[in-house]
Amino acid sequence: MSNFSDLKNNPRLKEIYERRLQILHLTRDFFWSQNFVEAETPIALRLPGQELYLNPMSVDVKDPYQMPHKFYLRTSPEYALKKLLATGIPKVFEIGKCFRNEESFGGTHNPEFTMIEWYRAPGSYLDIMDDTENLFKYVGEKLKVGKLKYNNKEIEYLNSWDRLSVKDLWQKYLQVNLDDYLNIENLKKLVSARGWKVEEKDAYEDLFYKIFLNEIEPYLGMEKPIFIYDYPAQMCSLSQLCKGDERYSQRFELYIGGLELANAFGELVDFKAQKVNLEKDKALRDQLGRETWSIDEDFLAALESGIPSAGGIALGIDRMVVLFTGARDINEVIFQSVSDQIEN
Amino acid sequence: MASTSEVRKGVVIKHQNDLYVVVEFQHINPGKGAAFVRTRMKNLASGKVIEITYKTSESVDIVSVQFQNMQYLYKNAERYVFMDMSSYEQVEMDGDLVGTDGKFLKEGLGVIVGMYEEKPVNIQLPKKIQYTVVEAPPAVRGDSASGNVTKEIKLDNGLLVNAPIFIKEGEEILVNTESGEYSARA
Repeated sequence: MSNFSDLKNNPRLKEIYERRLQILHLTRDFFWSQNFVEAETPIALRLPGQELYLNPMSVDVKDPYQMPHKFYLRTSPEYALKKLLATGIPKVFEIGKCFRNEESFGGTHNPEFTMIEWYRAPGSYLDIMDDTENLFKYVGEKLKVGKLKYNNKEIEYLNSWDRLSVKDLWQKYLQVNLDDYLNIENLKKLVSARGWKVEEKDAYEDLFYKIFLNEIEPYLGMEKPIFIYDYPAQMCSLSQLCKGDERYSQRFELYIGGLELANAFGELVDFKAQKVNLEKDKALRDQLGRETWSIDEDFLAALESGIPSAGGIALGIDRMVVLFTGARDINEVIFQSVSDQIEN
Repeated sequence: MASTSEVRKGVVIKHQNDLYVVVEFQHINPGKGAAFVRTRMKNLASGKVIEITYKTSESVDIVSVQFQNMQYLYKNAERYVFMDMSSYEQVEMDGDLVGTDGKFLKEGLGVIVGMYEEKPVNIQLPKKIQYTVVEAPPAVRGDSASGNVTKEIKLDNGLLVNAPIFIKEGEEILVNTESGEYSARA
């Protein structure tokens, strides 16, 4: 909802936009002050990630003889940043545009959006939780924002944040032990017993989200932000398994006011295990009739060369701006969102 | 049964034998899972609002609603009265179902009313509505210097909105009904 005339005529939208630019500046300040290096990696990739549920947009890159090469706009800078870690950069971040096709125009998505990713090697996903908390507090104190706002709710964020494992979360909201529902057959029975539809083709993730999105997510992070961590291992292909319980994987998400802000991993740095996961993802895409391409061997070579234990995260800047400005949705914080351009 | 791609504001869904009208919906892509659509729906009998999130490939039981062009006439206690412009019949709608859209209504405004079993269940407003400004405090010298770039004005249906300080009484302006904000001079 901001084209030229909206920004010109509507002081509220203008203020949101100015604040967005400040948030970008402060975010960079924060990471530079923590001795992270700011990286710049390609947006157009020949071999993007093949996460099962992401749809990269394709572009033709032509040489001077009009010979086309099929490239894709990145859905995330993850592989490139991990390659940089493997060159020996210990702390790296990048702020930039990412693209995902077949997602909604507005609400909590825009097909073109701004993401920050940062990685630490050596580092763990717990360090990344600390960074995230510190980043929000740094930005908020500089902007003098006392509470985050979303959907008419105010969320206290300047004190300590909640941290809860996914297993504890299921215990808390559903009174069930997630250990008993780590295979698809049991989970199907649970979903159906709780009154949700089960379809034959539902994957484990689909069943998980049918319960999670209906019975858990709307209540997460209402009073203060919450990290939920250690997901069932089958839901994670780029993270390492939990030490001591390999049924779960080192992954966390951040929720504030019911809104998902970030997804993070204790990074999988074992190139053999990574190769197996990437091949599995590619085969699943094939099965679903989705486009596939070769696995990025340069990425596997980087992992093979050795990365110390690493933690990393992808955080949506647009959603962060929504929380700091009290904007109604993501369209209000994006200058010329896809729907703004289509409607005008 | 219908596909979730047909779910939008104003459609009526049968869920566990009750009828609900969708008041809000949003697509969600968890990234690590298939796409979902989250709906907020109001029970047509009890008025209770619930939230249900469907996987986009799921089928939903959408019952057919007839959309008709009507004109808003007036408010009678807690009920809004509209006239069907083809039959000149009047229908009354619960204030509860009209919700916050009620504040944008003004006499003679054309809206689309969704009818289910001869009862109105929802309205769709134009994206922008034109109003006459009936009260606008004069701009004071120094306003913009002190950061006061807007002022509250009153429109011909009683609606209050913030508008730029140059707007004067008697002018025609457009209000965006999605944001509820001043949009432009008409």
